[in-house]
Amino acid sequence: MGAQAFFLAVFGLAAIGFGVAVFRTSSMVRSALALLFSQTAVGCMFLVMQTEFLGVLQIMMMATEMSIMAIFMVMFMMDPGGLGGMDMTHQKRFSIGAGVVAAGAAIAVALLADWGPVTVQAPAAAMQTRELGHELLGRSMLIFETAGVTILTAMIAATAVAIPVQRLADNGDKEVSE
Amino acid sequence: MTAVLIVALLTGAILFGIGVYGALSQTNLVMIMMGVELMLAGAMVNLVAFWRFLHPESYSGQMFVLVVMTVMAVEMAVGFGVAIARFRAIGSVEMEEAEDLKG
Repeated sequence: MGAQAFFLAVFGLAAIGFGVAVFRTSSMVRSALALLFSQTAVGCMFLVMQTEFLGVLQIMMMATEMSIMAIFMVMFMMDPGGLGGMDMTHQKRFSIGAGVVAAGAAIAVALLADWGPVTVQAPAAAMQTRELGHELLGRSMLIFETAGVTILTAMIAATAVAIPVQRLADNGDKEVSE
Repeated sequence: MTAVLIVALLTGAILFGIGVYGALSQTNLVMIMMGVELMLAGAMVNLVAFWRFLHPESYSGQMFVLVVMTVMAVEMAVGFGVAIARFRAIGSVEMEEAEDLKG
């Protein structure tokens, strides 16, 4: 339990440190990489908490997601390298206040609530995967199916929003994109 | 014995706070999405900790984490779709230039 708490704290500090770095660097590619490292540290926390399936899933998913995000950053940002030193923030004081209040409220609940006894022994990895499979295809099947359909809908909606709008030209026989 | 649970919950809380700051302070759509990702990561850490240390016999906790991961993927897909549409329309994804979206 002591080693688990130690490694949980180490990966927690890494996740927080890289999370802060996301908004402290001017370079957008560095921001995306910092978020990738932060999310990977979160995945490592899952592994330390003996949730192997979710930990590996988190690391694999975030590696792909953040690589795509870095490409989008370079495509869309006015100053992706951060060489111009542009300030890309607004309402800073309000944002810091909101962040501190949100974190403070969650910390207060974590410290003041009576969580009861902590379970020391986690189910074996194979057992977890088996039981999660039973949960997904049994009691939570409707939620699982809804999540799948939601992703499909989001993919279609995102593609529909992203493709250029086609309209007929004034002479009526030729399509032009806006 | 609750030290491990508290460490995980504190990490989740701080990640959520950093995410709130990022989502509110950034002017770029992609950076705002990064803040939302951090908030969801904080929520996931808490969910896994609750499952592992309080109710490892019930797999609804892990199921909930999968739902949050789905929300992350959906947020990214729709967010990038909107970013491409905005970039095509006005050549920028700066949210300070998106006043035309006000009701």
